[in-house]
Amino acid sequence: MTNASALRREIEHALEHRFPAALTPAQKTIHETYATGIAAVDALLEGGLPVGAISEVTGPECSGRTSLALSLVAGRTHGGQVCAWVDAEDALDPESAAACGVSLRQLLWVRCRRVAGTGKVTAKARMGHVDQALRATDLLLAAGGFAAIVLDLGGTAVEDARRIPLATWFRFRQAADRARSCVVVLGRASYAQSSAAAVLKCAPLRAQTAGGTVLRGFEYSVARERQRFVPGAAGGRKPPASTWNAPWSATGAWVRGERG
Amino acid sequence: MSTELYAAVHAAEFPAQALLRLRGDLAGQAVAVLEGRAPLERVCAMNRAARTAGAALGMTRLEAEAVGGVLLLARSSEAEAGARAALLECAAAFSPRIEDASGGTECMCVLDIGGTERLFGSPETVAGRLRGALLAAGFRVSIAVSGNFDAARLKSAAARGVAVIAVGEEAQALARLPVGSLGLTEEVAETFALWGIRTLGELAALPEVELVARLGQAARVWRGLALGTASHAFQPMEAEFALKEFCDFETPVEEMESLLFVGGRMVDCLAGRAAGRALSLASVSLHFELAGGRVHRRVIRPALPTVDRKFLLKLMQLDLAAHPPQAAVKALTMTAVAGYANKVQLGLFAPQMPEPSRVDVTIARLKAIAGEERVGSPVLEDSHRPVAFRMEGFQVVPAREEAGGEGIRMALRRLRPAAAVRVVLRGETPAIFHDGLRSYAVTEAFGPWRSSGHWWALGNWDAEEWDVLAEMQDGARVACLLVLDRGDGIWRLEALYD
Repeated sequence: MTNASALRREIEHALEHRFPAALTPAQKTIHETYATGIAAVDALLEGGLPVGAISEVTGPECSGRTSLALSLVAGRTHGGQVCAWVDAEDALDPESAAACGVSLRQLLWVRCRRVAGTGKVTAKARMGHVDQALRATDLLLAAGGFAAIVLDLGGTAVEDARRIPLATWFRFRQAADRARSCVVVLGRASYAQSSAAAVLKCAPLRAQTAGGTVLRGFEYSVARERQRFVPGAAGGRKPPASTWNAPWSATGAWVRGERG
Repeated sequence: MSTELYAAVHAAEFPAQALLRLRGDLAGQAVAVLEGRAPLERVCAMNRAARTAGAALGMTRLEAEAVGGVLLLARSSEAEAGARAALLECAAAFSPRIEDASGGTECMCVLDIGGTERLFGSPETVAGRLRGALLAAGFRVSIAVSGNFDAARLKSAAARGVAVIAVGEEAQALARLPVGSLGLTEEVAETFALWGIRTLGELAALPEVELVARLGQAARVWRGLALGTASHAFQPMEAEFALKEFCDFETPVEEMESLLFVGGRMVDCLAGRAAGRALSLASVSLHFELAGGRVHRRVIRPALPTVDRKFLLKLMQLDLAAHPPQAAVKALTMTAVAGYANKVQLGLFAPQMPEPSRVDVTIARLKAIAGEERVGSPVLEDSHRPVAFRMEGFQVVPAREEAGGEGIRMALRRLRPAAAVRVVLRGETPAIFHDGLRSYAVTEAFGPWRSSGHWWALGNWDAEEWDVLAEMQDGARVACLLVLDRGDGIWRLEALYD
């Protein structure tokens, strides 16, 4: 036994009545992840999005957020599980979902609607559909059993989504942990703050065309802004920032024989 | 030793029992039931509290109203039919051979319980358990057990609680009963009264030959009944298994809580009867008779047949909250369709799935939030029409693992409704478009892709699609789907690629 080990054991014995195993690194907790099905993103996240936690996929419109979320849902539904899509803006396109490989029979789609008002549009009326989406997510998390729940705030104005109290996100985090669901929030910015276990920032790179006449697909970039449960990081070091983003691409449903 | 054994179940004042069985709110209240058409209504049944208060059978409405504190209800044949079915259903759990011996305002059935000793125990035990089961179903009954059919029948009508007549002691057990219990005609009853014959014991003591000589062959039957030796050919009935409950409110009910209170009790009864046959409730139909003659119908369909009362009641509450009756409710009929209970083979490695019953309640709540048609699973329709899909109910069905799709696909985010835009064309290609708020300069446009269909019908379409890459004034870039409706010449921003 080396001197360092002997010294460590001596200190631990001396302190064990106050701090058990004071100098021994904490046991690594293995967090389950769901692969998104996009190799570059899964490599970036070292497995996929965390289960039992909130993940945020942020970015402007046309940055690939919806394609990424649909790819995750497609993987889950093909594994025999069921997923839910809480659509605050009623923006989901079922044809796109089917083209992405989602088994629609195993997808529960909640289409929230804007509250029609007359005259002056109040903040409450403007938040009506967001409120519906939050209540629906609450119910789905309480019911349990959904592998992934996508809360789609992708078209919601940032100032509206920022009105969601942090207590709501905290509650979602606790409920997701209990239900072992992967909650994915699509938005223009990050809203859940410290309640989010992973935050991905998406951005468009360029369009791919075929002969300049047909839109073939898009190239996107995704950057990891936060990842609380890094599988290899427990007790180790934070990975260098240069590995925190990756490019990926998606093609149109009319392009055959391509793999992402 | 005789192997025949009969248990007679007697429910007195049945019209009153049938009405009060589902009305927990009237427990302890003095209630009398009137039959006949106004103004000739007469009291035909009452509960014990009404009898104590001074009400009596045959009273007119005015006389009954003069007795203070007695609630007067109208006799309901539907409520009685439902209650009778429930009683027979309950009794059928003890013996499949039941003869209906009801008459007048009483409900009586006689069970052939011969040979059930090894199943249920002694006759006293059978009678006790049967009475307990009927009490739980809301019936106050008296039960008599005897080796003779008629002895059991006559004794049950006169006894309170449970009476067991030992073999050979029938005459002694019936001796104190009045001769009127034989259902004699007025003339014969008068003759017996003149002779001073008041009880069955006194009738049994008369010599048979002389009795027959004076009153005919019918007297032999009466004497046999009084002695407990009359023979009877048992005629078991085939009870129809219908899950139906009915409740008629004396005043129209508006409050949802009151409806659910009564509805809960009815669901309880239906679930109990279905469970008695190892069945579950696959659907429950509610039929509300509303004030003003209208009718309101709802059907509750759980994802899987169930007998869970709380779950069914919750579904009912959520459904009625979303679709309340448009007027006060006068009567409620609840019918159910029986189904086989769900059997699920659980597995250690089966994927995580929601519990079907919880999903039912969750979806009902989601529909209350988002709308009836806005929650479910999308189903693509077999059509070339753009955005052709319909919503279907979401069901948790175990699915097998399948192979994945072909790769990563671009997804569209639909704008519902599509935004009308003003488009400036360069040649035939969009160059600039404006959605009323912002202006977009088109950098690349791919198209047009034309589609049309259903030209022979009203729902026809003729559209021209453009995949457009555009840049806003602040430098942000978007990729979107512009559609020109060739019918009305309007450009619309249909979706964004995301």
